[in-house]
Amino acid sequence: MNETKFRRKKDLPSTHLLGTGTPMCAGCGGLEAIHQIYDILGENTVFVNAAGCMTMLSVYPFTPFRGSWLYTAMASAPAGAQGVRDGLDVLLHKQRIESKEDLQVVVLTGDGSAYGMGLSATSSAIERGLDFLYICYDNEGYGNTGQQYSAATPHGARTATSKGPRGFPGYKKDLFAIWAAHRPAYVATVVGAEPLDLARKIEKAKSLKGPRLIIALSPCPTGWHYDPGESVEIGKMAVKTGVWPLKEYVDGKVAHTKVPQQRPPVEEYLKRQGRFSHLFHPERNEVLLQEIQARVDGYWEGVI
Amino acid sequence: MYRIRYHGRGGQGMKTASRILGTAFFLEGFEVQDAPRYGAERRGAPIFAYVRASSQPINERGIIRRPDLVIVADDTLVAIPAAGVLSGLTNWSVLLISTNETPDIWEKRLNFSGQVLKLPAPAEVGDPLELRFVGSSCTGAAARLVGVISRDSLERAVRNELVQLGEGVIEKNLGKALEAYDLIGDHAGAVREAEKIPVDGYEKPEWVELPFEEARISAPAIHGAATSVEVKTGLWRTMCPVIDYGQCNRCWWVCSTFCPDSAISVDEQGTPHIDYEHCKGCMICVAQCPAHAIQIIPEHQAEMAGGQS
Amino acid sequence: MKRALLTGNKAAAWGARLARVDYVPAFPITPQTEIIETIGNWIDNGEMDCRMVTLESEHSMLTAAGAAAATGVRVFSATSSQGLLYAMEMLYTVAGWRAPFVLVNVSRGLAAPITLEPDHNDVLAARDSGFLQIHCSTCQEVLDSALIAYCLAEDERVRLPVIVNMDGFYLSFTREPVQIPDTKIVNQFVGEFDPENIRFSASAPVSQAVAVLGGTPYSYFRYETHLAALNGLAVYDEITEEFANTFGRRHDAVEAYRTEDAELVFVMMGSFATKAIDAVDGLREAGWAVGVLRPRLLRPFPADHFRRALAGKRGVAVIDQNLSMGKGGVLHTELASALYARAECSPVLVSFIGGLGGRDISLEEFYEMAAVTRKAVEDGEAPPPRLLYTKGELREVKKLQAVAHAERQELGKEQ
Repeated sequence: MNETKFRRKKDLPSTHLLGTGTPMCAGCGGLEAIHQIYDILGENTVFVNAAGCMTMLSVYPFTPFRGSWLYTAMASAPAGAQGVRDGLDVLLHKQRIESKEDLQVVVLTGDGSAYGMGLSATSSAIERGLDFLYICYDNEGYGNTGQQYSAATPHGARTATSKGPRGFPGYKKDLFAIWAAHRPAYVATVVGAEPLDLARKIEKAKSLKGPRLIIALSPCPTGWHYDPGESVEIGKMAVKTGVWPLKEYVDGKVAHTKVPQQRPPVEEYLKRQGRFSHLFHPERNEVLLQEIQARVDGYWEGVI
Repeated sequence: MYRIRYHGRGGQGMKTASRILGTAFFLEGFEVQDAPRYGAERRGAPIFAYVRASSQPINERGIIRRPDLVIVADDTLVAIPAAGVLSGLTNWSVLLISTNETPDIWEKRLNFSGQVLKLPAPAEVGDPLELRFVGSSCTGAAARLVGVISRDSLERAVRNELVQLGEGVIEKNLGKALEAYDLIGDHAGAVREAEKIPVDGYEKPEWVELPFEEARISAPAIHGAATSVEVKTGLWRTMCPVIDYGQCNRCWWVCSTFCPDSAISVDEQGTPHIDYEHCKGCMICVAQCPAHAIQIIPEHQAEMAGGQS
Repeated sequence: MKRALLTGNKAAAWGARLARVDYVPAFPITPQTEIIETIGNWIDNGEMDCRMVTLESEHSMLTAAGAAAATGVRVFSATSSQGLLYAMEMLYTVAGWRAPFVLVNVSRGLAAPITLEPDHNDVLAARDSGFLQIHCSTCQEVLDSALIAYCLAEDERVRLPVIVNMDGFYLSFTREPVQIPDTKIVNQFVGEFDPENIRFSASAPVSQAVAVLGGTPYSYFRYETHLAALNGLAVYDEITEEFANTFGRRHDAVEAYRTEDAELVFVMMGSFATKAIDAVDGLREAGWAVGVLRPRLLRPFPADHFRRALAGKRGVAVIDQNLSMGKGGVLHTELASALYARAECSPVLVSFIGGLGGRDISLEEFYEMAAVTRKAVEDGEAPPPRLLYTKGELREVKKLQAVAHAERQELGKEQ
């Protein structure tokens, strides 16, 4: 983090590239992250998308991109990225286009694709050493279809398919560890609520070559049931309480870019979201709350 | 057949409202078909719902082209072409609007020769999206307007459809529905069933031989940058953020960074400006401004202040 | 130009090589794998300036193929049966992108039960996708069709991907003499890939394959794809005319063999059609007025070609090497709809289904099908569709079932 352009918040971009007028929900944490990321990546990009909320970013004839975009399918955006990257490489190698026409290839998927259906294609793309960026906007469920649970849903969350009194019985898959096990060029977690941390990580990712993968926690007012204005606050709480570690994998090592001191109890984060209301009403579910706290505590004990 | 079309915003309960009406008809012994129709289903974005009721089995299906009754739960939708409020209206149709303006203002504005009926919108209007009961009010009025639904059936329908919700919520909704039912009593039966389009003298569809067009045009591709700015998502807004420039300390433009829709730009002096054509009113900027320099005012007040939209 | 003994797979590889393809996304599957091995070898030896990448599934492979074509390069790929079906979502998708490229399908029977030998159910499952389809009956045709397919796919009046189909084993692994045309002449014939403004480049931002909401715009895009596919009929005829003039081989949309004065006609696709030709020679010697029609182009469907060729014919034996469960033969169904209510062209159509999973169709069976068709003409009525199967085959299966304990009684024995 020595030579970063983003030392202070004043260094963040003041003009914004991504066009307004998209049909994303008001207060969308995913759009929050993408709009910040796009400012840094710029318009010499082609975003290759998988089915998810962001499918709706471009609906004929409207697109917010000042660069390019290709919508593929839920399971195969990394394969689409492979085709575009290889196509550009061939055109450059055979001198059919000038190098200034080159584009960065950026996969954009939700957690449904990244943690599940698209995992095979991602694994393969990393293993082939594809030179690309991967942005996962993680709203912890299948958002575009009404927030059913996905492999990214945290333990205890209520979703459209986990409405029982204890919420989702499963546990959030550790996608960061899975991706890092492939030893790609770079993996990082970000959240739009921490724009400086996000900017530095995107800047770093941009400067490297090979597979570079980012998971952006995306607070979702529609799916997590809270007022849209709270999106950034909830993102900040996720970091403060330690639920969402901000970290990166590079050169074979994992390093945390923020280690929260004096973490507020996890319930400060949970109680702001309707999807966890059953942990508090009609009465507190102490067992589940303590279980969730214990997992977070356990994680940070391993770090410090 | 009664053909009824609801217009509201995502989050205002149009689907439930249409189902209450459908159930009320059903309890009166009618054959019923009801369905919502989503565009991009988002909070604040326009949605439709349809109700058909007939003494005969219903074979018609899908969108209602020629409504007998159009219900507008949120009068700000009339200005949005995509909301299609006026689509198919004839002088046979009845237009029921939840509004604080008088019917003749709407008649003039819309150049409409059919009947416009008003349902008073709650006087203390904060965020229209908080109006969870507007759907029930509209349905209560609609039930009276068709003239074939008893007060009793209306009550049973409300209880049927809202059974999952708490008793307090059910009573609130019921109260609103019955209140509207009673209020609009002078116009009971004003909505009539239109006849089917006749075979003699129907308007011929203008079928066309679609010409082949080159792939550049006929592939689903957009050859341009940021064409999305033409979509005025500002029309989703029911509450409006307003910057008090006296309080704004031109910080490191928090609001501009945190606005997910890129709807806040910063000029050379470091002054932020909100793009009201696109601001969806999420209020993240309000929550995050370190100087608390951004206020929330209801959208219609902002419009009346003449500056914002 | 040299003439060599090549398998269908090698011929396909030569087609890709001569077309100077830029990119080959690949995934192995029997009976196609020799194609990508051959291309891989040529790349490693420096004989082909092309990039080959193995994806992890055919679904990803087709995604990469379409994406690279949409970026602006000439793409080749190959698959079969289970792989083609695994990619099915993407077949429809990339056709809708209007991404032109060539996919060789080596047809093979579909699971379940899983098998390795050929029939046409796999490639026919793709017939609604927007891919054009060319069906080959010789290894020469495979090589030639690859070249024709690039011209067809990339024509501005089409801009759709094309499947070139060959039968597994009977063509893929069978060597036949093949003329390998001269590189220079092929370069002139096929030309360079022209992206025609559908590409990715920094100076021309484009959002491709975007979502569409509403039946009206969606219908527009789908109808246009269909119109483009229909244009393929005229474009194919133009290309094959020029091909004939350049290379001396004619590959008409519907191949007609001894049909001019025929009363009865066999209609079938693929490599087994040469067996029909063989049968027709025998029947002709015995005095029958009989011929063969073999559609090479299946999509777009060459309805006019069929109507012209079958005008005045009295009986047609349609032999389908495919089976639509609960309906019957696909070619029979499609041909019937093309001929319906055409006064000048109303032969009796008789449906036969055989050759599934590579099952042979014997010469005797062809003779018998001709006889059945002749009788149908005399009766003025078609019999119900016949699933080709013999007593001997049933006995064989019963024996197998006895071993599998599925059936404890062998035919003809009491228990």
